[in-house]
Amino acid sequence: MKTGDAGFITTTLEKAMEWSRSNSIWPLTFGLACCAIEMMAVQASRLDVSRFGSEVFRNSPRQSDLMIVSGTVTKKMAPRLRRLYDEMPYPKYVIAMGVCVIQGGPYNQGYSVVLGVDRVVPVDVYVPGCPPTPEALTNGIILLQKKIRNEADR
Amino acid sequence: MTYEIKEETGKDGRKVFRIGRDHLLELMKDLKDQGYDHLTLISSVDFRDRIELIYHLEKSSDNFSIIVVKTETKDTHIPSVTPLWESANWDEREQYDMMGVIFDGHPDLKRILLPEGWNGYPLRKDYDMSKVQFVNMDEEGNDYVSFDPGDGW
Repeated sequence: MKTGDAGFITTTLEKAMEWSRSNSIWPLTFGLACCAIEMMAVQASRLDVSRFGSEVFRNSPRQSDLMIVSGTVTKKMAPRLRRLYDEMPYPKYVIAMGVCVIQGGPYNQGYSVVLGVDRVVPVDVYVPGCPPTPEALTNGIILLQKKIRNEADR
Repeated sequence: MTYEIKEETGKDGRKVFRIGRDHLLELMKDLKDQGYDHLTLISSVDFRDRIELIYHLEKSSDNFSIIVVKTETKDTHIPSVTPLWESANWDEREQYDMMGVIFDGHPDLKRILLPEGWNGYPLRKDYDMSKVQFVNMDEEGNDYVSFDPGDGW
């Protein structure tokens, strides 16, 4: 990126697109279990995630870019989760929040739990913890932003 | 009284009635007439050769004192107490879902948590954990269960 004396910026279209995408990640309002409480804390005023561009949690998958899977995914929920993911427009991203979502967690030997949401949808960032602190999730969102910005270089 | 009950005292001093399955409904009717107006919960234990069912009854006029009724079944059939306490409806459906107890006389005995078509009863001792089951959804939003993962997985 170069700044000229005449007050204009030259860049590539890709870089501009990734920059704008990474700074306006709108998550889907989608909580499954106790991790969703921490997700709400991230959205609320103390750890305001809109400082980093995740401005509002959208209520419709059609308007959102990011799905934060927060909480245990049961086998009955998995097809619904997949349908919500399919309804989101491209480009779309997924954060797996909490150890239940990553590999089943304490319910690993249960009969009704999906052993990792990456068996159902592709995951971009994993945030471990039981539950992860709100700061960890904020870090995960910043990591996702870095990942989006590097996409043009790949 | 035309039935026999074995009365015990539980660890915490609660009254425990043991009753055969054939006289369960008579005992429950009598207890309801005595003022036990709230069925708190129904739980069950799998002893492999038999299933024991445990009913907790509460009396609101007597400081919510609790009485425990235990009964058992060998062929998984048991009479339903839904006509006496409406709250037994979903409790019995849960016992059917998890333990496979069949309640005779229940108005709508189907699975409450797991999707219809699930194979086996997961809280039984002889439930086969090695067979992984998958749930998929058709266009109308109905679940179907299969042993091989479908398109969504």
